[in-house]
Amino acid sequence: MAEDSRGDPACGGMDGRKDPVPSSGGFNFPEYEFPELNTQAFHVAAFGELWRGRLRGEEDLSLKDLPGGREVTDSGCEDAAVARDLGCSLETAAELRAVCGLDKLRCLEEGEDPEVIPENTDLVTLGVRKRLLKHREETLRIDRACRQETFAYEMESHAVGKKPENSADMIEEGELILSHREHKPYQTMLVLGSQKLTELRDSICCVSDLQIGGEFSNTPDQAPENISKDLYKSAFFYFEGTFYNDKRYPECRDLSRTIIEWSESHDRGYGKFQTAKMEDFTFNDLYIKVGFPYLYCHQGDCEHVVVITDIRLVHHDDCLDKTLYPLIIKKHWLWTRKCFVCKMFTARWVTNNDSFAPQDPCFFCDVCFRMLHYDAEGNKLGEFLAYPYVDPGTFN
Amino acid sequence: MGTPSGLKDDCEALLSRFQEMDSVRFEDFAELWRSMKFGTIFCGRMRNLEKNTFTKEALTLAWRYFLPPYTFQIRVGALYLLYGLYNMQLCQPKQKIRVALKDWDEILKFQQDLINAQHFDAAYIFRKLRLDRAFHFTAMPKLLSYRMKKKMQRAEITEEFKDPNDRVLKLITSDVLEEMMNVHDHYQRMKHVISADKSNPEKSLDLIKDDFFDNIKNIVLEHQQWHKDRKKPPLKLKVKGGEEKSERNSQQSERCERAESLAKIKSKAFSVVAQASKSRRHRQVKVDVSDSESGQVQTKTTRKRKNKETLKPAGKKVSSRDRDDMQNIHMEDKSLNLSMPVVTEEDEENESFSETEFTAPKRRRKQRTKS
Repeated sequence: MAEDSRGDPACGGMDGRKDPVPSSGGFNFPEYEFPELNTQAFHVAAFGELWRGRLRGEEDLSLKDLPGGREVTDSGCEDAAVARDLGCSLETAAELRAVCGLDKLRCLEEGEDPEVIPENTDLVTLGVRKRLLKHREETLRIDRACRQETFAYEMESHAVGKKPENSADMIEEGELILSHREHKPYQTMLVLGSQKLTELRDSICCVSDLQIGGEFSNTPDQAPENISKDLYKSAFFYFEGTFYNDKRYPECRDLSRTIIEWSESHDRGYGKFQTAKMEDFTFNDLYIKVGFPYLYCHQGDCEHVVVITDIRLVHHDDCLDKTLYPLIIKKHWLWTRKCFVCKMFTARWVTNNDSFAPQDPCFFCDVCFRMLHYDAEGNKLGEFLAYPYVDPGTFN
Repeated sequence: MGTPSGLKDDCEALLSRFQEMDSVRFEDFAELWRSMKFGTIFCGRMRNLEKNTFTKEALTLAWRYFLPPYTFQIRVGALYLLYGLYNMQLCQPKQKIRVALKDWDEILKFQQDLINAQHFDAAYIFRKLRLDRAFHFTAMPKLLSYRMKKKMQRAEITEEFKDPNDRVLKLITSDVLEEMMNVHDHYQRMKHVISADKSNPEKSLDLIKDDFFDNIKNIVLEHQQWHKDRKKPPLKLKVKGGEEKSERNSQQSERCERAESLAKIKSKAFSVVAQASKSRRHRQVKVDVSDSESGQVQTKTTRKRKNKETLKPAGKKVSSRDRDDMQNIHMEDKSLNLSMPVVTEEDEENESFSETEFTAPKRRRKQRTKS
């Protein structure tokens, strides 16, 4: 049901900030609810605190760079630290340093290429890999990464280790990173525990946000600039029995009201749903289950299943620039639909009932569309219906 | 990606060889690592994405062996394996090891055990991994995405690496023994009281062996002593208190009547050994006629041979035979009995093997499947 832009500020049950109701009894230790599927619900910030409590005082949480080059550090000093931590003598500490050094693990001689599989290996993994490489050599003419692989790798690693220019943008130690996966379009994002839900909402790119409504065959030049995202601003997240509605703008409506009314009208077997304002909550405030599907709904009826796949403490090697979060690390590569005529440019128009087009619907890029359907003066030729088209692959 | 093919085999090969070494020293592990050239597992022109996924999977796999219910030695081996994999990986920046909150306390306890038992090399390595910030502190061990369609691969626990069940120990605890002794005494006294001749009980009431409970007690004590002796010199392993595997002694004592007859059958069957298939030919069992030897505890080869010698073919109720062997051993010279035979159970406790016989049972299983 498409909503119109009438504002509807009066919504029941949303008086100020409301704490979400925990579904479990405040037990914040993540454990499987269903093995290998999802955990029971727990409070994110409390979970973070459980970890931080265990690691306090140690160097595990530090985001500072390690002292450069372990060989450079004063070995005497290090031995003393080892002796203190392990309760052994200094000589033992020095001996340990020698015995457990990394050189004891080296299997390749100097100058041996780490990329080449050694000849006489017993390792099964290498045997498998060797066969695969051989197969690739025999069947492929050019052996390199395809676009999708490069794209996927870039996505995963483009922000790794980035430090912000402005130190105020630095993430704090002990911050939590949630890994948030959305379906259709399939993408995975990292979001900080301290970030608001609205920040995530803004960064989810769904093609339905870009749609332009209306038929423009008669006035192709006047395709409006307004995209749906600007027109229909309402959205909600559903986590653990609570609907978090976006209420930042006066046009935003409570989309969840319909659902709540439906569930309350008869005894449907659902508990009492709550509503809350999306902009008032950060991820740290939520009670969620890891691995459990939740919902994000916008544009009235565009729904996406979202799953929190992981929560962990921030690490020195992560992207440490707050402003870059929510950070997309995985995205589905979508093939863009090309113009039917030139097969080169991405389609910007779609036509129906088009006498010029060989198929219905048919996609055209802007240039080919005008060349085919309009004469030199811009008069419409023939009969057709034309709609602006935004391809999902535009986000690649 | 699921676990890359062959990786599990390689890790288990490394860990089981480490287990055979019967040591928890990093030097021994490193030697094994170098001899297997395990560090080359990352070689082979993997492109970046594949390198990342492979390394992640390798670390996850190795991590599993670091947690209970695996034996102490396997867990230390897994720690060394993690150390090796983490430092030899080719990814830049390095892939991290995921630790879930629910496992962390167990890990810390393990580290404390290491320090208490003075296994400084293992403790040093764990400390080093922490200092290198090799860990990601997470909610759950792996990413969960509600994959209902994918068949859930239950991680199989490699049985040979597991701590053997100590259900028997739970059965014959020192309390139980004491109680049994008391009951026995009481019973004897009752017999005296009700029989006509006050000094000797009726012959018709002679329904049990008089020294039954003494036997049990002796067996249990012998077994505990054996364990202690066995563990002390080669390892500085912390003996887990009274909770030692006094395995299956109850069954032994129950079947001691059949011991002699079965022993004969077993020794005959012993001389026959199945031919291992080509892929397992490096594990071919050799029947070794050398006598069980005196204390060359350090030589691993002799021990291996001894293990092979005590290999059991597929058969029933072998435990009684072990009692026999045990007597033999104690009659010989007190060598750290590495030839202590394994008591294997053919019923559902099948999977619990004694610590000495890690390689043997595996071979035995192989034989069974072939016959």
